Amino acid sequence: MLDLLLEPLSEPFFVRALLAVALGGVTCACLGAYVVLRRMAFVSTALTHSILPGVVGAMLLGFSPYLGALAAALLTAGGAAWLASRKGASEDSAIGVMLSVMFAAGVALMQQANSWRDFAGLLFGSVVAVGAADLWVIAATAVGVLFGLRVLHKELELASFDEEYASLLGARPGLMRMVLLALVALGAVSCVRLVGALLTTALFVIPAATGVLLGRTVPQVMAWGVACALAGGVSGLYLSYYLPAVPSGAGIVLCCAVPYLLARLFAPRR
Amino acid sequence: MSPFWPRLGRQIGDAAFALLPTLRYARPEKNDCSGEAVVARGLAAGARVDGPAAFRAADFSIPCGCRTALIGPNGSGKSTLLRVLAGLVPPQAGEVLVAGAPPALGRSRIAYLSQRPQLTEGFPLLLRRLVQMGTYAHHGWFEECRHGEAAVDQALAQLGLTELADRPVHALSGGQLQRALIARAFVQGAEVLLLDEPYAALDAASREIIERFLFDQGHAFTVLMATHDPADLARFDRILELRGGAVLTKHACSGHDHRHA
Repeated sequence: MLDLLLEPLSEPFFVRALLAVALGGVTCACLGAYVVLRRMAFVSTALTHSILPGVVGAMLLGFSPYLGALAAALLTAGGAAWLASRKGASEDSAIGVMLSVMFAAGVALMQQANSWRDFAGLLFGSVVAVGAADLWVIAATAVGVLFGLRVLHKELELASFDEEYASLLGARPGLMRMVLLALVALGAVSCVRLVGALLTTALFVIPAATGVLLGRTVPQVMAWGVACALAGGVSGLYLSYYLPAVPSGAGIVLCCAVPYLLARLFAPRR
Repeated sequence: MSPFWPRLGRQIGDAAFALLPTLRYARPEKNDCSGEAVVARGLAAGARVDGPAAFRAADFSIPCGCRTALIGPNGSGKSTLLRVLAGLVPPQAGEVLVAGAPPALGRSRIAYLSQRPQLTEGFPLLLRRLVQMGTYAHHGWFEECRHGEAAVDQALAQLGLTELADRPVHALSGGQLQRALIARAFVQGAEVLLLDEPYAALDAASREIIERFLFDQGHAFTVLMATHDPADLARFDRILELRGGAVLTKHACSGHDHRHA
């Protein structure tokens, strides 16, 4: 049994993937607390899906996929905000438009490239894809995002709980929303290698949804979310290692769902 | 787990805060109301800036420390007037001063309690933290909540919430939540308290606690409260009535400062 756990650790790529899933899981679980509490799951889905055209475009043009992904995510957030800014337009449908348009653009760009196979890892994640340079990007993103969440904790909490009181105090809830969207874009971009564009949104939603069932304060929600993401992420990687047919993204998401189900079944009613 | 890791975490967190400048949400103001707490001249406003006006050419003033009832039929603009004074809705015409300056967002001297506060449902927050949010007016960006504990304790005690301080907000009754929101406004240290029908849907016990807090303690604040209840009016020093787009004043406050009455 112990050998089953230790054997993959002799592979450098697996250790890198483990570090990546730990750092990315912590980042996404903490951000996810706000995503879930503010009911922003749909916009986070749009951001993660829109990474696809960014990465594919950047690969075709030959510059850093992270820059392409970040640009595409920020374009989606800005585009949805602009579409929704017209009087009578619903934000929901604006996000829906941006999500499908960006994803369609990504699919069209993929056809320009030679094969679909290169991009399967992009869509569903791949354990072997995480290189040393990717690990640095993920670590830097984790530090930046967690720092931002820490220093703006009281403002983000206030703006998420009572937007009107936040504006009365001058704590700029609109600005806080944009900061949060930018952080979600950063977090999504850093996880895309491991989990894939289609499934990254699950890393925001599932651990935090587990946390909401168990925590009584925002830091508690984050702590439970981190625990769920770490447990699910690590076991998902092992699953993907022993069953190569399961892409790492799918394995991680499936394993994250287990603690969520357990919490849903056994958490005391609050 | 040894206390080392949590302590290290806290120290790193504190170091992170120390790196950042302290930025106020808005310029701090001193609470030294003298003379008029609210002055309006030719004020016109509607629920929306470009919509129809609920009232026009309203002229009135409220002295510091005066407890004023705001009455009028539904749709007469009571809520709009309060939102204008709170800085949430810009006036369409005329000028208005609250605590010596035009209403604006980020003014800690003005506290406003909406008729139906739009709180995010199911948000994980303890009652004490909700009340603490009032002290943010005296903090700034990038600052952990560090001071104002004494004021929070005092407000919790005066509104009968000490026992409930560790309850989640979404487990509170309507009356308990309303008391918590009033405690938050008090902790903010506001000079002018704008309350939009705070008794709506409250049980007698909560209502009595709030009334005692607002009227019997001689706190140093000016109250402007929208209300529909005729039984209430005897408690107030002054009554403002909104009717047909105009403001009528009854029972003018006498000249002396009611804070020391």
